[in-house]
Amino acid sequence: MIDSFPFDEWSEDITAFWTFGPENSTGTYVLTVLGVIVMIVSLIGWVWLENKKLTAQADLLRAAGGLPVPGGAPPGPGPSQPPMAGPSTDPGT
Amino acid sequence: MISSLASVLASLFAQAPTLEELNAKVDLDSLILLEVFYYFTVVVMWLIHVGFMAYEAGVARRKNVMSTAMKNILTIAVVTPSFYYFGWYIYGCFEHGGPAQGHAGPDPELPGFCGLTAPWSAGMGGNLESSLTGHLSLVFFLAFLLFSWTTGSIMSGALIERVRLSAYLILTVLLGSGVWIMDAAWGWSGGGWLTINYGFHDTIASLVVHGVAGAFTLGVLLNLGPRIGKYDIQGRARAFRPHNTHLTLMGLMLIFTGFYGFYAACLFIQSTVFPGWLNIYLSPTTLGTIAMVITVGFAGGFTGGWFASKGDPFWTLSGGLAGVISVSAGADVYHPSLAYLLSASGGMLAVWVGTYIERKLRVDDAVGAVSVHGFCGFYGVFLVGIFAGGYPTGLNNVPVSFGGQLMGMLAFFPLAFLPGYIVSWLLKKANLLRVPPEVELEGLDIAEFQQDFYPEYERVPEVVVLPTGEEVEAAPILLEEFARTNGHRAGEPAERR
Repeated sequence: MIDSFPFDEWSEDITAFWTFGPENSTGTYVLTVLGVIVMIVSLIGWVWLENKKLTAQADLLRAAGGLPVPGGAPPGPGPSQPPMAGPSTDPGT
Repeated sequence: MISSLASVLASLFAQAPTLEELNAKVDLDSLILLEVFYYFTVVVMWLIHVGFMAYEAGVARRKNVMSTAMKNILTIAVVTPSFYYFGWYIYGCFEHGGPAQGHAGPDPELPGFCGLTAPWSAGMGGNLESSLTGHLSLVFFLAFLLFSWTTGSIMSGALIERVRLSAYLILTVLLGSGVWIMDAAWGWSGGGWLTINYGFHDTIASLVVHGVAGAFTLGVLLNLGPRIGKYDIQGRARAFRPHNTHLTLMGLMLIFTGFYGFYAACLFIQSTVFPGWLNIYLSPTTLGTIAMVITVGFAGGFTGGWFASKGDPFWTLSGGLAGVISVSAGADVYHPSLAYLLSASGGMLAVWVGTYIERKLRVDDAVGAVSVHGFCGFYGVFLVGIFAGGYPTGLNNVPVSFGGQLMGMLAFFPLAFLPGYIVSWLLKKANLLRVPPEVELEGLDIAEFQQDFYPEYERVPEVVVLPTGEEVEAAPILLEEFARTNGHRAGEPAERR
């Protein structure tokens, strides 16, 4: 199937669309719109994900019935808050 | 013999370049030199961001180290695309206040500067065509992008240990890709309306970068509020002990190193077009002039900061930064001795203003950004109105005047302060500005990353410095302040409240 792709026939059009295309071309418009969408979705994602993490940790601390002494040993993540970044804190994994 | 000699001579003359060809080669060399010059200013300016990260992470308490550093890193992730899609276009097309009409340049075959700044234009993609589109647009963009990151980094330190990362990212997009670049279009370009009408002069961006970032930060801080435990019940300021002062001082030294790149990137040279170095307003200066001013600016600022703070290490180094910012606006025209004197005054004022903001206004600015960058940025532009009055500025060669400088200050303060205040107020109303108090007390790193980032070291108790200067264990004070500010005792189950 790959052999049937018309590289020779389409190569110049593809190059013009995605890479060294002239200004104000369809390709540059499409790339700009896609980039702006990714940028906005990323910002929304940051807000959503952080809010989820902070809410979970605050709920965990309240449910535990006592805050850790500020600057004391970290309690680690609760059961509802699995690690989302970095190495796992679970020695069994 | 003679015929062979003649043929050799003929071939030599045939290969000799014409005057036009030589001119073209010199033009190209000049252009490439300019492109390379800007490229390496960008490399050096990266050190500013390395420095800001180290500086702020060192100031933070151990429990907030990574959340602090991550703000600086993600500044690059959000400001870069937003500046590419919107910010650079604002700079290119809003010199007269509103969007420019038409994008064509004097040569109908080429777009004007405005036309080169849209993300779909020839100026913003890789191409080999003309000098403007092939060589200059992208390196200019990169230099300005690094300035944009700097505005975000200036704000980030002031907000540490209680702001949400995502709130900071939204605010830094607004500041780095909207607010500062709008004021740069108005007053930091040869054709900006403040420049061509009033002779506004701010060569190395005292106000357009530092002052504006400081004013924006002040607006955010008023809504964000102080860290838990920062003020006692009588409103007196306590000090949180930085977790690593050495890291903070090294960060500041890296910022200073990067400033040499920042200063150089504010100049312009193209030997085949202009007779020598030009400032951002296309008025003549030299690289040596500004290099002297930045160096004696650090010297004066360190001196002023040391004496005003009675030898405090943090404020001594911050004084150096304040000193340079105070003389940046006139760095292209100041005599080194004048720069030394003015920067010393800036270093001293930064300490006093910072102390006033912390103790009298009760605004918790964790790194003194509002005084060092904000106040000294405005102070630097004010000084140009006094000491460089009459110097021709901009395409119209309008003389610098105190009134013109004042006009810039009056235009830029609301332009910066109001967006910071309004957007942070909206985030606060949506409960998206500040982390929950329980998380703040525990430390942001556990909630954000589920890790302690110094696992190999024992956790020693946090220390807080009382207004009397006495150092005591922080935990009882913070728990009591938590209860006072949240209306219940720390750890009380939610259902009992």
